[in-house]
Amino acid sequence: MRPSFLLRKEFGNLAVIRGTVKYHLSPLEQRAFAGAISQGVPNIFWRFRQSFFYVVPPMLLSYLVYYTAEMEHDRLQRKQPGQFDHEK
Amino acid sequence: YKASRFSPLMSVVRHTVITLPTPVNISTWWNFGSLLGVCLAIQIFSGLVLSLHFTAHTDLSFYVVIQSFGDVYYNWWFRALHANGASFFFIGLYLHVARGMYYGSYVFKEVWSVGVVILLLVMASAFLGYVLPWGQMSFWGATVITSLFSALPIIGGDVVIWLWGGFSVDNATLTRFFGLHFLLPFTVAGLAGLHLFFLHDQGSSNPLGVSSDYNKVVFHHYYVLKDLVGVCFFVGPLLGLVYFNPWLLGDPENFIEGNPLVTPHHIQPEWYFLFAYAILRAVPNKLGGVVALAVAVLILLYMPFSPQTAIKGLSFYPWGKALFFSLIGVFILLTWAGAKPVEEPYVVVSQVLSFLYFSYFLLIGPLTRIQDKLL
Repeated sequence: MRPSFLLRKEFGNLAVIRGTVKYHLSPLEQRAFAGAISQGVPNIFWRFRQSFFYVVPPMLLSYLVYYTAEMEHDRLQRKQPGQFDHEK
Repeated sequence: YKASRFSPLMSVVRHTVITLPTPVNISTWWNFGSLLGVCLAIQIFSGLVLSLHFTAHTDLSFYVVIQSFGDVYYNWWFRALHANGASFFFIGLYLHVARGMYYGSYVFKEVWSVGVVILLLVMASAFLGYVLPWGQMSFWGATVITSLFSALPIIGGDVVIWLWGGFSVDNATLTRFFGLHFLLPFTVAGLAGLHLFFLHDQGSSNPLGVSSDYNKVVFHHYYVLKDLVGVCFFVGPLLGLVYFNPWLLGDPENFIEGNPLVTPHHIQPEWYFLFAYAILRAVPNKLGGVVALAVAVLILLYMPFSPQTAIKGLSFYPWGKALFFSLIGVFILLTWAGAKPVEEPYVVVSQVLSFLYFSYFLLIGPLTRIQDKLL
């Protein structure tokens, strides 16, 4: 029994595909992890290179902001030359 | 004979996690939904066990929590699991929301709206739970956050007294916080079911942002196994913290019993609230800070109504991607700034970062639509 509220997107009711022929091998006639190492590992490096210049520059900039703020805070916490001259 | 053909419940289970049509190309970023469900189950289970030995009273809570470590078998484990489970819950939440922002999942308006409500309830639940051990940070965190409601015009003072159940954070506050902390996770569980219901109406999105109706597979075994792998990678570090460094993410101030007469030098919430805390403190005006705090989370509700792009998500929008990862950097910096004292240059840095945080939501729509018009 299928509850009626679940009748929307199910197999047999997903999309109309015309003019396309699909071929596939039976799972019993192919290796399960074909190319997992030989193609998968180079793919890791390819995916890393594609995202490197989007991810790394903002993170580097964030680190620079953090480092500069911490250095400036340490400087402001120290005594400045002439800070207490009025007390002499 | 198959049970699901005759049982409505098994039919729902079958359509939800067994034969559910799922895109063939969803990545690890789609694991966080199930991970959050696992987190919720861990928190409810460990919380139930802890509640068996907890007493919500200002004179007793602190000592009951500490004493139960030694007296109740494995209570140290359940407490460490519950405390660190909360942190991992928020790691999962923020990554889940980030996935939604990056891949344009907010076009599913109902799913997104219910998700934002879940986020707010989990934040409320975490805040309430942190008060229960009645340490210094528990008491003063409760005082600071509940006092924010006094910024409301006209009714603010009365609202705060009503919330407290008295004229300060005291026993009445602790007992009602325990009750609410017990109740809210079950509300979250119900809303999570609603979240899934709306999601399964349209089916999951995918990293390419195009319709996946042409290439779907059944959820079981593919994504049952993928989600199990995700659970192992998620629960592994959680248990690592529980066994080897349970207080890494905690505040040592909370090992001192809550004292209304002694104010800690640095009142700060747990790490997952620090970005909002930084935004709250960045605004010099009290009401303005409270409004900024609320808008920092509620602005997520604006995203379904922001200008839509030709292709869903940011996968094919280089400037959008750069802006998105800048937002990630801003979020991390806001978390750092929220833990800093109110001194220069942290004040100015917090204000600039808060401005940049809100600017993302205003800029991302126009920036991506410009690319649509140029191409």
